Amino acid sequence: MRLIPLFLLSLLPAYAAADNSWQDKLQIHGFASQAFVHTSDNDFFGDSDSGSFDFTELGINASYQLLPKIRLSSQVISRRAGELYNGSPWLDYAFVDFNFISTPNHQFGSYLGRIKNPVGLYNETRDVAHTRQGVFASQAIYFDKVRNLVMAADGIHLYSNHFMDNGNLLLQVGAGYPLPDKNVEYTFMGQNWDGKLKGEDLGIFAKVVYEHNGGRWIYSFTTASISLDFDSGAADRIPFPTGPGLTSGELHIDYSVLSAQYNGEKWQFTTEATIEHVDFDGISPLFESLGGDAVGFYGQVDYKFTPQWQAFVRYEEFHLDKHDWNGSKRARESAATSQYLSGFGIQQAAIPAYNNYIKTVVVGGHWDIKPSLRLRTEYHISEGTATLSPRENNASTSEKYWNMFAVSLSYRF
Amino acid sequence: MHKQLKYLFILGYIFFSPGALAHALIINPHTPTAELSRNSIRAIFAMRTPQWSDGTPVHVFVLADNHPLHTSFCKESLGMFPYQLRRIWDRQVFSGTGIAPTTVKSIAEMRERVASTTGAIGYIQPDQVNASVIQISEGF
Repeated sequence: MRLIPLFLLSLLPAYAAADNSWQDKLQIHGFASQAFVHTSDNDFFGDSDSGSFDFTELGINASYQLLPKIRLSSQVISRRAGELYNGSPWLDYAFVDFNFISTPNHQFGSYLGRIKNPVGLYNETRDVAHTRQGVFASQAIYFDKVRNLVMAADGIHLYSNHFMDNGNLLLQVGAGYPLPDKNVEYTFMGQNWDGKLKGEDLGIFAKVVYEHNGGRWIYSFTTASISLDFDSGAADRIPFPTGPGLTSGELHIDYSVLSAQYNGEKWQFTTEATIEHVDFDGISPLFESLGGDAVGFYGQVDYKFTPQWQAFVRYEEFHLDKHDWNGSKRARESAATSQYLSGFGIQQAAIPAYNNYIKTVVVGGHWDIKPSLRLRTEYHISEGTATLSPRENNASTSEKYWNMFAVSLSYRF
Repeated sequence: MHKQLKYLFILGYIFFSPGALAHALIINPHTPTAELSRNSIRAIFAMRTPQWSDGTPVHVFVLADNHPLHTSFCKESLGMFPYQLRRIWDRQVFSGTGIAPTTVKSIAEMRERVASTTGAIGYIQPDQVNASVIQISEGF
Protein backbone atom coordinates (compact mmCIF):
# COMPACT_ATOMS: atom_id res chain seq x y z
CA MET A 1 0.00 0.00 0.00
CA ARG A 2 2.79 2.39 0.87
CA LEU A 3 4.19 2.12 -2.63
CA ILE A 4 1.04 3.28 -4.39
CA PRO A 5 1.91 7.02 -4.43
CA LEU A 6 5.34 6.26 -5.91
CA PHE A 7 3.78 3.92 -8.40
CA LEU A 8 1.33 6.68 -9.29
CA LEU A 9 4.09 9.19 -9.88
CA SER A 10 6.05 6.74 -11.99
CA LEU A 11 3.04 6.42 -14.32
CA LEU A 12 2.86 10.13 -15.02
CA PRO A 13 5.59 10.56 -17.65
CA ALA A 14 4.10 7.77 -19.77
CA TYR A 15 0.71 9.46 -19.75
CA ALA A 16 2.24 12.85 -20.37
CA ALA A 17 3.59 11.54 -23.65
CA ALA A 18 0.34 9.84 -24.61
CA ASP A 19 -1.99 12.67 -23.70
CA ASN A 20 -1.20 16.35 -23.65
CA SER A 21 -3.91 17.17 -21.14
CA TRP A 22 -2.49 15.07 -18.29
CA GLN A 23 -2.16 18.26 -16.25
CA ASP A 24 -5.96 18.49 -16.35
CA LYS A 25 -6.22 15.00 -14.90
CA LEU A 26 -3.81 15.53 -12.02
CA GLN A 27 -4.55 17.60 -8.94
CA ILE A 28 -2.13 18.08 -6.07
CA HIS A 29 -3.15 19.67 -2.78
CA GLY A 30 -1.68 19.92 0.68
CA PHE A 31 -1.78 21.54 4.09
CA ALA A 32 0.47 22.62 6.96
CA SER A 33 -0.53 23.73 10.43
CA GLN A 34 1.29 24.67 13.62
CA ALA A 35 -0.38 25.20 16.99
CA PHE A 36 0.61 26.50 20.39
CA VAL A 37 -1.21 24.95 23.36
CA HIS A 38 -1.16 26.16 26.96
CA THR A 39 -3.09 24.39 29.73
CA SER A 40 -3.52 25.46 33.36
CA ASP A 41 -3.02 21.80 34.40
CA ASN A 42 -2.87 18.39 32.68
CA ASP A 43 -1.23 17.74 29.32
CA PHE A 44 -2.88 17.94 25.92
CA PHE A 45 -0.55 17.41 22.94
CA GLY A 46 2.77 17.86 24.70
CA ASP A 47 3.98 19.42 27.91
CA SER A 48 1.18 21.94 27.59
CA ASP A 49 1.02 23.17 31.18
CA SER A 50 4.24 24.98 30.46
CA GLY A 51 3.21 25.82 26.88
CA SER A 52 3.66 23.39 23.98
CA PHE A 53 4.37 23.70 20.26
CA ASP A 54 4.08 19.92 19.86
CA PHE A 55 1.10 19.99 17.51
CA THR A 56 2.17 20.09 13.88
CA GLU A 57 0.25 18.70 10.92
CA LEU A 58 1.49 18.31 7.34
CA GLY A 59 -0.09 16.58 4.39
CA ILE A 60 0.10 16.26 0.63
CA ASN A 61 -2.27 14.48 -1.71
CA ALA A 62 -2.71 13.68 -5.38
CA SER A 63 -5.71 12.73 -7.47
CA TYR A 64 -5.27 11.37 -10.98
CA GLN A 65 -8.06 10.66 -13.45
CA LEU A 66 -6.65 7.53 -15.05
CA LEU A 67 -9.70 6.84 -17.24
CA PRO A 68 -13.06 8.64 -17.45
CA LYS A 69 -14.50 6.24 -14.87
CA ILE A 70 -11.37 5.42 -12.87
CA ARG A 71 -9.56 7.85 -10.56
CA LEU A 72 -6.60 7.20 -8.27
CA SER A 73 -6.03 9.20 -5.12
CA SER A 74 -3.65 9.15 -2.19
CA GLN A 75 -2.54 11.30 0.73
CA VAL A 76 0.47 11.11 3.03
CA ILE A 77 0.42 12.96 6.33
CA SER A 78 2.84 13.74 9.11
CA ARG A 79 1.34 14.43 12.49
CA ARG A 80 3.18 15.47 15.61
CA ALA A 81 0.88 15.57 18.65
CA GLY A 82 2.65 15.46 22.00
CA GLU A 83 3.33 11.90 23.17
CA LEU A 84 0.62 10.54 20.85
CA TYR A 85 2.26 11.03 17.45
CA ASN A 86 5.87 11.71 16.60
CA GLY A 87 5.46 13.06 13.07
CA SER A 88 6.61 10.02 11.11
CA PRO A 89 4.92 9.86 7.67
CA TRP A 90 1.70 7.88 7.46
CA LEU A 91 -0.27 6.71 4.44
CA ASP A 92 -3.58 8.40 5.21
CA TYR A 93 -5.49 7.02 2.24
CA ALA A 94 -4.74 5.41 -1.12
CA PHE A 95 -7.56 4.05 -3.21
CA VAL A 96 -9.09 3.61 -6.64
CA ASP A 97 -12.45 5.27 -7.28
CA PHE A 98 -14.55 3.35 -9.81
CA ASN A 99 -17.44 5.55 -10.94
CA PHE A 100 -19.81 3.00 -12.46
CA ILE A 101 -22.85 5.19 -13.06
CA SER A 102 -22.80 8.95 -13.57
CA THR A 103 -25.95 10.87 -14.49
CA PRO A 104 -26.92 14.42 -13.50
CA ASN A 105 -29.16 12.96 -10.75
CA HIS A 106 -27.31 9.88 -9.62
CA GLN A 107 -23.79 8.65 -8.94
CA PHE A 108 -22.89 5.08 -8.11
CA GLY A 109 -19.40 3.76 -7.55
CA SER A 110 -16.86 2.07 -5.36
CA TYR A 111 -13.65 2.91 -3.50
CA LEU A 112 -11.03 0.18 -3.20
CA GLY A 113 -7.92 0.51 -1.03
CA ARG A 114 -7.21 2.46 2.15
CA ILE A 115 -10.34 4.56 2.63
CA LYS A 116 -11.15 7.28 5.18
CA ASN A 117 -14.28 6.56 7.21
CA PRO A 118 -16.52 9.61 6.87
CA VAL A 119 -17.85 9.38 10.47
CA GLY A 120 -20.09 12.30 11.46
CA LEU A 121 -19.66 15.65 9.73
CA TYR A 122 -15.91 16.02 10.09
CA ASN A 123 -14.00 12.77 10.59
CA GLU A 124 -12.58 12.20 7.12
CA THR A 125 -10.79 15.57 7.02
CA ARG A 126 -10.26 16.23 10.73
CA ASP A 127 -6.48 16.45 10.25
CA VAL A 128 -6.87 19.40 7.90
CA ALA A 129 -7.06 22.46 10.15
CA HIS A 130 -9.08 24.46 7.60
CA THR A 131 -11.87 21.90 7.62
CA ARG A 132 -12.16 21.51 11.40
CA GLN A 133 -14.49 23.49 13.63
CA GLY A 134 -11.65 24.86 15.71
CA VAL A 135 -7.99 24.36 16.62
CA PHE A 136 -9.07 20.88 17.73
CA ALA A 137 -11.93 18.67 16.61
CA SER A 138 -14.59 18.24 19.31
CA GLN A 139 -13.16 15.61 21.66
CA ALA A 140 -16.68 14.47 22.60
CA ILE A 141 -17.05 12.85 19.15
CA TYR A 142 -13.64 12.85 17.47
CA PHE A 143 -11.45 11.35 20.20
CA ASP A 144 -7.88 12.24 19.37
CA LYS A 145 -6.63 9.77 21.93
CA VAL A 146 -7.93 6.88 19.78
CA ARG A 147 -8.16 8.54 16.39
CA ASN A 148 -6.76 5.62 14.40
CA LEU A 149 -9.55 3.32 15.46
CA VAL A 150 -12.13 4.79 13.09
CA MET A 151 -9.98 7.04 10.92
CA ALA A 152 -9.52 4.74 7.96
CA ALA A 153 -9.60 1.07 6.97
CA ASP A 154 -8.16 -1.10 4.21
CA GLY A 155 -11.10 -2.41 2.26
CA ILE A 156 -13.95 -1.55 -0.07
CA HIS A 157 -16.78 0.99 0.08
CA LEU A 158 -19.78 1.45 -2.20
CA TYR A 159 -21.38 4.85 -2.64
CA SER A 160 -24.69 5.88 -4.12
CA ASN A 161 -25.54 9.59 -4.32
CA HIS A 162 -28.98 10.85 -5.32
CA PHE A 163 -29.57 14.49 -6.25
CA MET A 164 -33.29 15.19 -5.90
CA ASP A 165 -35.55 18.24 -6.08
CA ASN A 166 -35.59 18.92 -2.37
CA GLY A 167 -32.18 17.65 -1.45
CA ASN A 168 -29.42 15.12 -1.80
CA LEU A 169 -29.32 11.63 -0.36
CA LEU A 170 -25.78 10.29 0.02
CA LEU A 171 -25.27 6.64 0.98
CA GLN A 172 -22.02 4.83 1.71
CA VAL A 173 -21.41 1.30 3.00
CA GLY A 174 -18.25 -0.71 3.26
CA ALA A 175 -16.04 -3.24 4.94
CA GLY A 176 -12.39 -3.04 5.82
CA TYR A 177 -9.56 -4.00 8.14
CA PRO A 178 -9.06 -1.40 10.90
CA LEU A 179 -5.65 0.13 11.58
CA PRO A 180 -5.17 0.15 15.38
CA ASP A 181 -2.04 1.69 16.90
CA LYS A 182 -0.52 1.97 20.38
CA ASN A 183 -2.87 4.84 21.28
CA VAL A 184 -5.83 2.46 20.99
CA GLU A 185 -4.10 0.14 23.46
CA TYR A 186 -3.39 2.98 25.92
CA THR A 187 -6.98 4.16 25.80
CA PHE A 188 -8.84 0.88 26.11
CA MET A 189 -6.25 -1.16 28.04
CA GLY A 190 -4.58 1.56 30.10
CA GLN A 191 -0.98 1.10 29.00
CA ASN A 192 1.42 -0.25 26.39
CA TRP A 193 1.41 -4.03 26.83
CA ASP A 194 3.97 -6.50 25.55
CA GLY A 195 1.37 -7.90 23.15
CA LYS A 196 -0.34 -6.12 20.32
CA LEU A 197 -3.83 -5.19 19.14
CA LYS A 198 -4.33 -6.30 15.56
CA GLY A 199 -6.96 -5.37 12.99
CA GLU A 200 -7.40 -8.79 11.43
CA ASP A 201 -11.19 -8.91 11.44
CA LEU A 202 -13.25 -7.06 8.85
CA GLY A 203 -15.01 -4.05 10.32
CA ILE A 204 -18.18 -2.68 8.78
CA PHE A 205 -19.14 0.90 8.07
CA ALA A 206 -22.37 2.58 6.95
CA LYS A 207 -23.47 6.19 6.53
CA VAL A 208 -26.61 8.01 5.40
CA VAL A 209 -26.57 11.76 4.75
CA TYR A 210 -29.49 13.94 3.74
CA GLU A 211 -28.69 17.47 2.58
CA HIS A 212 -31.85 19.54 2.39
CA ASN A 213 -31.99 22.50 0.00
CA GLY A 214 -28.35 22.44 -1.11
CA GLY A 215 -27.09 21.69 2.39
CA ARG A 216 -28.93 24.46 4.25
CA TRP A 217 -29.82 21.60 6.59
CA ILE A 218 -27.62 18.52 6.83
CA TYR A 219 -28.56 15.37 8.73
CA SER A 220 -26.38 12.31 8.96
CA PHE A 221 -26.16 8.98 10.70
CA THR A 222 -22.96 6.92 10.76
CA THR A 223 -22.30 3.55 12.29
CA ALA A 224 -19.18 1.41 12.47
CA SER A 225 -18.49 -1.95 14.06
CA ILE A 226 -14.94 -3.07 14.72
CA SER A 227 -13.27 -6.06 16.37
CA LEU A 228 -9.61 -6.07 17.35
CA ASP A 229 -7.58 -9.12 18.33
CA PHE A 230 -5.23 -8.80 21.27
CA ASP A 231 -2.24 -11.13 20.91
CA SER A 232 -0.79 -11.26 24.41
CA GLY A 233 2.98 -11.14 24.70
CA ALA A 234 5.14 -13.40 26.89
CA ALA A 235 5.45 -10.73 29.60
CA ASP A 236 1.64 -10.24 29.60
CA ARG A 237 1.00 -13.96 30.18
CA ILE A 238 3.08 -14.27 33.37
CA PRO A 239 0.42 -15.45 35.85
CA PHE A 240 -0.99 -13.12 38.45
CA PRO A 241 0.29 -11.90 40.92
CA THR A 242 3.84 -12.19 39.56
CA GLY A 243 2.72 -10.70 36.25
CA PRO A 244 -0.50 -9.27 34.77
CA GLY A 245 -1.81 -12.70 33.72
CA LEU A 246 -3.39 -11.53 30.45
CA THR A 247 -4.60 -13.96 27.81
CA SER A 248 -5.24 -13.32 24.15
CA GLY A 249 -8.74 -12.11 23.39
CA GLU A 250 -10.87 -9.62 21.54
CA LEU A 251 -12.06 -6.06 21.86
CA HIS A 252 -15.36 -5.15 20.16
CA ILE A 253 -16.32 -1.56 19.49
CA ASP A 254 -19.62 -0.35 18.00
CA TYR A 255 -19.65 3.32 17.28
CA SER A 256 -22.58 5.43 16.03
CA VAL A 257 -22.83 9.16 15.40
CA LEU A 258 -25.93 11.25 14.75
CA SER A 259 -25.38 14.75 13.32
CA ALA A 260 -27.44 17.78 12.36
CA GLN A 261 -26.34 21.13 11.02
CA TYR A 262 -27.90 24.38 9.82
CA ASN A 263 -25.84 26.47 7.40
CA GLY A 264 -27.05 30.07 7.12
CA GLU A 265 -25.36 33.11 5.68
CA LYS A 266 -24.25 34.38 9.11
CA TRP A 267 -25.26 31.64 11.52
CA GLN A 268 -24.27 28.03 11.64
CA PHE A 269 -25.68 25.58 14.21
CA THR A 270 -24.14 22.14 14.65
CA THR A 271 -24.90 19.27 16.96
CA GLU A 272 -23.56 15.74 17.03
CA ALA A 273 -24.00 12.86 19.45
CA THR A 274 -22.27 9.51 19.72
CA ILE A 275 -22.77 6.26 21.50
CA GLU A 276 -19.82 3.90 21.69
CA HIS A 277 -20.30 0.36 22.92
CA VAL A 278 -17.12 -1.36 24.12
CA ASP A 279 -16.94 -5.06 24.94
CA PHE A 280 -13.95 -7.11 26.09
CA ASP A 281 -13.86 -10.81 25.28
CA GLY A 282 -11.16 -12.68 27.21
CA ILE A 283 -7.87 -10.83 27.88
CA SER A 284 -8.48 -10.26 31.63
CA PRO A 285 -11.41 -10.16 34.08
CA LEU A 286 -10.13 -6.72 35.11
CA PHE A 287 -10.84 -5.31 31.64
CA GLU A 288 -14.30 -6.79 31.30
CA SER A 289 -15.60 -4.25 33.82
CA LEU A 290 -14.20 -1.48 31.60
CA GLY A 291 -16.70 -2.29 28.85
CA GLY A 292 -20.00 -0.48 28.54
CA ASP A 293 -21.64 2.34 26.63
CA ALA A 294 -19.84 5.65 26.38
CA VAL A 295 -21.77 8.72 25.24
CA GLY A 296 -20.62 12.06 23.89
CA PHE A 297 -22.38 15.10 22.46
CA TYR A 298 -21.82 18.74 21.62
CA GLY A 299 -23.65 21.78 20.35
CA GLN A 300 -21.84 24.56 18.53
CA VAL A 301 -22.97 27.97 17.31
CA ASP A 302 -20.83 29.78 14.74
CA TYR A 303 -21.33 33.36 13.67
CA LYS A 304 -19.69 34.85 10.58
CA PHE A 305 -19.13 38.57 11.07
CA THR A 306 -17.70 38.61 7.54
CA PRO A 307 -16.65 35.68 5.35
CA GLN A 308 -13.13 36.19 6.82
CA TRP A 309 -13.97 36.69 10.52
CA GLN A 310 -15.83 34.06 12.46
CA ALA A 311 -16.50 33.27 16.12
CA PHE A 312 -17.99 30.24 17.85
CA VAL A 313 -19.06 28.86 21.18
CA ARG A 314 -19.34 25.12 21.86
CA TYR A 315 -20.50 23.03 24.77
CA GLU A 316 -19.48 19.38 24.89
CA GLU A 317 -19.74 16.43 27.24
CA PHE A 318 -18.33 12.93 27.18
CA HIS A 319 -19.15 10.13 29.64
CA LEU A 320 -17.37 6.77 29.61
CA ASP A 321 -20.41 4.97 30.99
CA LYS A 322 -23.94 6.15 30.40
CA HIS A 323 -25.05 4.35 33.56
CA ASP A 324 -22.36 6.05 35.64
CA TRP A 325 -22.70 9.70 34.60
CA ASN A 326 -20.44 11.15 37.29
CA GLY A 327 -18.00 8.24 37.28
CA SER A 328 -18.52 7.40 40.97
CA LYS A 329 -19.25 3.69 40.39
CA ARG A 330 -16.09 3.23 38.34
CA ALA A 331 -14.11 5.19 40.93
CA ARG A 332 -15.30 2.81 43.68
CA GLU A 333 -14.38 -0.20 41.52
CA SER A 334 -10.97 1.31 40.80
CA ALA A 335 -10.37 1.92 44.52
CA ALA A 336 -11.36 -1.69 45.31
CA THR A 337 -9.02 -3.02 42.58
CA SER A 338 -6.23 -0.83 43.88
CA GLN A 339 -6.74 -2.19 47.40
CA TYR A 340 -6.94 -5.77 46.14
CA LEU A 341 -3.67 -5.38 44.23
CA SER A 342 -1.92 -3.77 47.19
CA GLY A 343 -2.64 -7.04 49.09
CA PHE A 344 -0.17 -8.63 46.65
CA GLY A 345 2.30 -5.80 47.04
CA ILE A 346 1.33 -4.26 43.66
CA GLN A 347 0.95 -0.48 43.80
CA GLN A 348 -1.66 0.82 41.36
CA ALA A 349 -3.21 4.18 42.20
CA ALA A 350 -7.01 4.40 42.08
CA ILE A 351 -8.49 6.37 39.18
CA PRO A 352 -10.67 9.28 40.34
CA ALA A 353 -14.32 9.65 39.30
CA TYR A 354 -13.62 12.73 37.17
CA ASN A 355 -11.41 10.64 34.85
CA ASN A 356 -14.63 9.02 33.57
CA TYR A 357 -16.25 12.16 32.12
CA ILE A 358 -15.50 15.63 30.77
CA LYS A 359 -17.65 18.74 30.36
CA THR A 360 -16.17 21.62 28.40
CA VAL A 361 -17.15 25.08 27.24
CA VAL A 362 -15.11 26.31 24.27
CA VAL A 363 -15.06 29.87 22.93
CA GLY A 364 -13.03 30.64 19.83
CA GLY A 365 -12.76 32.16 16.42
CA HIS A 366 -10.74 32.47 13.26
CA TRP A 367 -9.47 35.03 10.82
CA ASP A 368 -8.67 34.19 7.20
CA ILE A 369 -5.61 36.34 6.59
CA LYS A 370 -5.70 35.07 3.00
CA PRO A 371 -7.98 32.41 1.48
CA SER A 372 -5.19 29.88 2.05
CA LEU A 373 -3.99 31.11 5.45
CA ARG A 374 -6.09 30.86 8.63
CA LEU A 375 -5.33 32.04 12.14
CA ARG A 376 -7.40 30.39 14.87
CA THR A 377 -7.65 30.74 18.61
CA GLU A 378 -9.82 29.23 21.31
CA TYR A 379 -10.21 28.85 25.05
CA HIS A 380 -11.50 25.74 26.85
CA ILE A 381 -12.91 25.57 30.38
CA SER A 382 -13.16 21.93 31.47
CA GLU A 383 -14.31 19.76 34.33
CA GLY A 384 -13.09 16.15 34.09
CA THR A 385 -10.29 14.42 32.22
CA ALA A 386 -11.92 11.57 30.25
CA THR A 387 -10.66 12.70 26.84
CA LEU A 388 -7.04 13.15 27.97
CA SER A 389 -4.67 10.41 26.91
CA PRO A 390 -3.18 8.16 29.61
CA ARG A 391 -0.08 8.31 27.43
CA GLU A 392 0.39 11.97 28.41
CA ASN A 393 -1.28 12.09 31.80
CA ASN A 394 -1.27 10.11 35.03
CA ALA A 395 -5.01 9.74 35.62
CA SER A 396 -4.64 9.53 39.42
CA THR A 397 -2.78 12.83 39.68
CA SER A 398 -4.61 14.76 36.94
CA GLU A 399 -6.51 17.94 37.87
CA LYS A 400 -10.32 17.85 37.81
CA TYR A 401 -10.75 21.51 36.79
CA TRP A 402 -8.49 22.80 34.04
CA ASN A 403 -8.39 25.35 31.24
CA MET A 404 -6.73 25.39 27.86
CA PHE A 405 -5.70 28.17 25.49
CA ALA A 406 -4.72 27.34 21.92
CA VAL A 407 -3.74 29.26 18.81
CA SER A 408 -2.90 27.86 15.37
CA LEU A 409 -1.75 29.08 12.00
CA SER A 410 -2.79 26.90 9.06
CA TYR A 411 -1.97 26.94 5.38
CA ARG A 412 -3.51 24.91 2.58
CA PHE A 413 -3.21 24.82 -1.18
CA MET B 1 -48.31 53.27 -0.48
CA HIS B 2 -46.42 54.48 -3.51
CA LYS B 3 -43.15 53.44 -1.88
CA GLN B 4 -44.49 49.97 -1.06
CA LEU B 5 -45.59 49.47 -4.65
CA LYS B 6 -42.14 50.43 -5.79
CA TYR B 7 -40.54 47.77 -3.55
CA LEU B 8 -43.08 45.22 -4.73
CA PHE B 9 -42.18 46.04 -8.30
CA ILE B 10 -38.46 45.69 -7.59
CA LEU B 11 -39.00 42.38 -5.82
CA GLY B 12 -41.14 41.11 -8.67
CA TYR B 13 -38.49 42.15 -11.13
CA ILE B 14 -35.76 40.32 -9.19
CA PHE B 15 -37.74 37.12 -8.83
CA PHE B 16 -39.45 36.85 -12.18
CA SER B 17 -37.23 38.49 -14.73
CA PRO B 18 -34.34 36.35 -16.00
CA GLY B 19 -32.58 39.59 -16.90
CA ALA B 20 -32.28 40.38 -13.19
CA LEU B 21 -29.70 37.67 -12.58
CA ALA B 22 -26.25 39.12 -12.05
CA HIS B 23 -24.66 36.22 -13.90
CA ALA B 24 -25.07 34.05 -16.97
CA LEU B 25 -24.37 30.33 -16.79
CA ILE B 26 -22.20 29.37 -19.76
CA ILE B 27 -20.94 26.14 -21.28
CA ASN B 28 -18.50 25.15 -23.96
CA PRO B 29 -20.26 24.93 -27.38
CA HIS B 30 -19.43 21.18 -27.58
CA THR B 31 -21.12 20.39 -24.26
CA PRO B 32 -24.37 18.48 -24.87
CA THR B 33 -26.86 20.35 -22.72
CA ALA B 34 -29.28 23.23 -23.17
CA GLU B 35 -31.05 23.38 -19.83
CA LEU B 36 -30.06 22.37 -16.31
CA SER B 37 -32.18 22.00 -13.21
CA ARG B 38 -31.02 23.62 -9.97
CA ASN B 39 -30.18 20.14 -8.61
CA SER B 40 -27.97 19.37 -11.56
CA ILE B 41 -26.23 22.74 -11.31
CA ARG B 42 -25.64 22.19 -7.58
CA ALA B 43 -24.26 18.70 -8.18
CA ILE B 44 -22.00 19.95 -10.98
CA PHE B 45 -20.57 22.88 -8.97
CA ALA B 46 -20.22 20.68 -5.88
CA MET B 47 -17.91 18.57 -8.13
CA ARG B 48 -20.19 15.57 -7.65
CA THR B 49 -20.94 15.03 -11.36
CA PRO B 50 -17.73 13.91 -13.06
CA GLN B 51 -19.27 13.38 -16.50
CA TRP B 52 -21.95 14.80 -18.78
CA SER B 53 -24.63 12.40 -19.98
CA ASP B 54 -22.58 11.52 -23.10
CA GLY B 55 -19.50 10.64 -21.02
CA THR B 56 -17.57 13.88 -21.65
CA PRO B 57 -15.69 14.86 -18.46
CA VAL B 58 -17.23 17.89 -16.71
CA HIS B 59 -14.75 20.73 -16.25
CA VAL B 60 -15.89 23.35 -13.74
CA PHE B 61 -14.46 26.88 -13.64
CA VAL B 62 -15.10 29.28 -10.75
CA LEU B 63 -13.94 32.68 -9.55
CA ALA B 64 -12.33 33.13 -6.12
CA ASP B 65 -14.57 32.55 -3.07
CA ASN B 66 -14.67 36.26 -2.26
CA HIS B 67 -15.37 37.47 -5.84
CA PRO B 68 -18.75 39.30 -5.94
CA LEU B 69 -19.87 37.41 -9.05
CA HIS B 70 -19.06 34.07 -7.37
CA THR B 71 -21.10 35.09 -4.32
CA SER B 72 -24.10 36.15 -6.38
CA PHE B 73 -23.85 33.01 -8.54
CA CYS B 74 -23.85 30.81 -5.42
CA LYS B 75 -26.85 32.57 -3.93
CA GLU B 76 -28.92 32.94 -7.11
CA SER B 77 -28.22 29.74 -8.97
CA LEU B 78 -27.34 27.30 -6.20
CA GLY B 79 -29.19 28.79 -3.24
CA MET B 80 -25.95 28.30 -1.30
CA PHE B 81 -23.16 30.38 0.23
CA PRO B 82 -19.55 30.24 -0.97
CA TYR B 83 -18.37 28.68 2.32
CA GLN B 84 -20.71 25.70 1.81
CA LEU B 85 -19.25 24.93 -1.61
CA ARG B 86 -15.72 25.36 -0.26
CA ARG B 87 -16.45 22.88 2.51
CA ILE B 88 -17.76 20.27 0.06
CA TRP B 89 -14.68 20.71 -2.16
CA ASP B 90 -12.31 20.56 0.82
CA ARG B 91 -13.94 17.43 2.14
CA GLN B 92 -13.58 15.74 -1.25
CA VAL B 93 -10.04 16.98 -1.92
CA PHE B 94 -8.65 16.00 1.48
CA SER B 95 -10.38 12.62 1.72
CA GLY B 96 -9.53 11.72 -1.88
CA THR B 97 -13.18 11.27 -2.88
CA GLY B 98 -13.20 14.13 -5.37
CA ILE B 99 -11.41 17.12 -6.80
CA ALA B 100 -11.66 20.91 -6.67
CA PRO B 101 -12.81 23.11 -9.56
CA THR B 102 -10.35 25.29 -11.48
CA THR B 103 -10.23 28.82 -10.08
CA VAL B 104 -9.75 31.55 -12.71
CA LYS B 105 -8.53 35.09 -12.00
CA SER B 106 -11.03 37.13 -14.01
CA ILE B 107 -14.31 37.05 -15.90
CA ALA B 108 -12.41 37.41 -19.18
CA GLU B 109 -10.29 34.37 -18.34
CA MET B 110 -13.46 32.46 -17.35
CA ARG B 111 -15.02 33.02 -20.78
CA GLU B 112 -11.81 32.15 -22.57
CA ARG B 113 -11.25 28.91 -20.60
CA VAL B 114 -14.88 27.77 -20.96
CA ALA B 115 -14.73 28.52 -24.72
CA SER B 116 -11.54 26.49 -25.16
CA THR B 117 -12.20 23.49 -22.85
CA THR B 118 -14.45 20.62 -23.93
CA GLY B 119 -17.05 19.83 -21.27
CA ALA B 120 -16.49 23.17 -19.54
CA ILE B 121 -19.06 25.08 -17.49
CA GLY B 122 -18.76 28.45 -15.75
CA TYR B 123 -20.47 31.78 -15.27
CA ILE B 124 -19.86 35.37 -16.39
CA GLN B 125 -21.71 38.67 -16.43
CA PRO B 126 -24.67 38.55 -18.86
CA ASP B 127 -23.27 41.37 -21.02
CA GLN B 128 -20.02 39.43 -21.47
CA VAL B 129 -21.66 36.52 -23.32
CA ASN B 130 -20.51 36.21 -26.94
CA ALA B 131 -20.47 33.59 -29.70
CA SER B 132 -17.54 31.67 -28.18
CA VAL B 133 -19.74 30.19 -25.45
CA ILE B 134 -23.35 29.09 -25.03
CA GLN B 135 -25.55 30.59 -22.35
CA ILE B 136 -27.82 27.96 -20.88
CA SER B 137 -31.11 28.47 -19.17
CA GLU B 138 -31.56 27.47 -15.57
CA GLY B 139 -34.77 25.52 -15.06
CA PHE B 140 -36.07 26.24 -11.58
